[in-house]
Amino acid sequence: MLKSEIRERRVTVITKVLFIFVLFFFWEYLPVWTGRDKLFPPLSRVLESLWQNLTTGELLQHIKFSLYLIFSGIGLGIILAFFLTAFCMISKTFARIMDVIVSIMHPLPGIALLPVVMLLVGLGAKAIIIIIIHSILWPLIVNSLAGFRAIPKIQLELGRNIGMSEFRLIWAVMIPNAFPYILSGLKIAWARSWRALVSAEMVFGASGVVGGLGWFIYKTRYFMDIESVFAGLISVIIIGMLVDEFLLKTLENKTVKKWGMSA
Amino acid sequence: MSNLLVQDLVKQYSLEGKSFTVLDKLSFSVDSGDFLTILGPSGCGKTTLIRCICSIEEPTSGKILLDGKPISGIGPDRLMVFQDFNQLFPWKTVIENVIYPLKLNKVSGDIKTLTRRAEEFLDLVHLSAFKHAYPNQLSGGMRQRVAIARSLALNPKVLMMDEPFGALDAQTRSILQKELKSLWRKFQTTIIFITHNVQEAILLGSKVMVLSLSPAKIKYYKKNPLPEPRMPETPEFMALWHTLYDQLDTQRY
Ligand SMILES: Nc1ncnc2c1ncn2[C@@H]1O[C@H](COP(=O)(O)OP(=O)(O)OP(=O)(O)O)[C@@H](O)[C@H]1O
Ligand SMILES: [Mg+2]
Repeated sequence: MLKSEIRERRVTVITKVLFIFVLFFFWEYLPVWTGRDKLFPPLSRVLESLWQNLTTGELLQHIKFSLYLIFSGIGLGIILAFFLTAFCMISKTFARIMDVIVSIMHPLPGIALLPVVMLLVGLGAKAIIIIIIHSILWPLIVNSLAGFRAIPKIQLELGRNIGMSEFRLIWAVMIPNAFPYILSGLKIAWARSWRALVSAEMVFGASGVVGGLGWFIYKTRYFMDIESVFAGLISVIIIGMLVDEFLLKTLENKTVKKWGMSA
Repeated sequence: MSNLLVQDLVKQYSLEGKSFTVLDKLSFSVDSGDFLTILGPSGCGKTTLIRCICSIEEPTSGKILLDGKPISGIGPDRLMVFQDFNQLFPWKTVIENVIYPLKLNKVSGDIKTLTRRAEEFLDLVHLSAFKHAYPNQLSGGMRQRVAIARSLALNPKVLMMDEPFGALDAQTRSILQKELKSLWRKFQTTIIFITHNVQEAILLGSKVMVLSLSPAKIKYYKKNPLPEPRMPETPEFMALWHTLYDQLDTQRY
C-alpha cells in the first residue's frame, strides 16, 4: 500500500470514529438538556434496556425467530431462483416469459403483497416467508441471468477444449464466471428481505399472531416502553450490518475481489 | 508420417440471408512435429480454419483427419491457445489452472505427480515464482505463458495458437517467441501458429503458409528453408520476408 493510501485510510477511520462519538454524545445529553428524554431516551438508558431485554431472554427469542424466518426465506428463495434461472438457460420461451414476470413483479414491494398473501395462506410464519421469497427472488433471477449472459465465450470454449462435459461446464465454468453477478444479487436480496421482514412482522404485530423483531418494536411502543423500542431498532441495525458488512463483504473480499472479477 | 490431414475443407457463414464462403476447399497436411505458421490478410479466415480443426466450429464440408482418423468433436487432443488474455480461470491460482485440466483428463498419477508436472511446466515458462498468484495479478504476457504451459502439459497431438503474442509489446513478444521455440524443440509438439507478423512467421515456422482473402485459398505453403539460428538481418531472411510479404496481397486494401 502507498503512503498516501495509508494516510487517507487513517483519516477516514478517524473521521468516522469521531463522528460516532459526537453522535453518541448528543444522543446522551441532548434529550436531557431539552427535557424530552421521555420520548427520546438517552443512549445509556437505551443500552441498559437493550442489555436487560437480551438477558431476560425476550428480545433474544424475537431475534431468533426473525433470523429463522429470514434464513428459511432466503434459503428457499435461492433454491427457487436457481431452478428458474436454470429453466431460463434451457428454454428461450421460458426465458421470454420470465422476462415479463420479472418486470411485473420486480417493482412490487413485498409488503404491498401482504394482504393478498394473508388471504391465500392466512396469518403466520408462512405468509412472512412468502414475502421474503418474493423480495429476493426477482433480484436474484435478474442478476444471475445477467451473469450467465455475460460469460465470455472464450471461457466456455476453453472449458470444452480441455475436455469438460456440458454438465461440468455449468458448475466449473458458468457458475464461477457468473458469481460476481450472483453475489451482487445476494446483496440486494439481503437488504430487501431484511426490510421486508421487519415491516411484515410489524403489520402482523397488529394482529398479534407471530413474534419477531418487528413485532417486538410494535409491542413495546404499544406499552410506551420507548427504551425498548430503541433497543429493538438497534438490534435491527446491528444484524443488518453484521450480515452486510461482515458476512457478505468478507465473502466478496475472499472471492470476487481477490480474483479481480467484477459484475 | 502425416499427423493432420485437411481435405477440401469448406466453411460458409450466412450473412443477411446469403451464405458466403470463408474457406474454399482447403487441402493440406501437417506432419507430426511440424511448426506451421499461417499468414494471411485480416479477415481471410485464419481463425476460422483453426477453429474448425479444433472442432469449436463445424465445417460446412470436407474432411479433417488426425493420425488417419476423422476428428471427433472438441477435445484436449487439439488444444487452442487464444489471443485473449482472459483464457485462464480467474478463480484458480496459476498452478491450479495448470493442474485442473490434468486432473480432468485423468493424466496418470496422483495429485503429487500432477503437481510436480505442473510445476515443471511452469518452470519451463519461468513462472515458478508466481505459481500461487491469481491470473489478475499477472501481466498479459505472463498469462499467455501460463496458457502455453497448461496446454503443453496436456501433451496435445496438435497445439493451435491464434496470434498468442499479438497484443504484446515487441520485447515481450521476442522473449516468448524464443521460449516457445525451445519448448517446441524439447517436446516436438505439432504446432499451428497464426500471426500477422511476417518476421514472426519466418522465425518460428518450420513450414509457412499464406492464405488469400475471400475466399481463403492456399497461396503459399512451403518448408522454411532458412537454417537455425535465423537472423532477420541476413539477405536470405530478407528475401523470404519479401516473398511472403508480396504474397500477402496487401493491395486489396
Ligand atoms: N460466427 C461468424 N458468423 C459470420 N461470419 C463470421 C463468423 N466468424 C467469422 N466470420 C467471418 O469469417 C471471415 C473470416 O474470419 P476470421 O476470424 O477467420 O478471420 P481472420 O483471418 O482470423 O482475421 P484476423 O486476422 O483479423 O483475426 C470474416 O469475414 C468474418 O467476418
Ligand atoms: Mg483471427
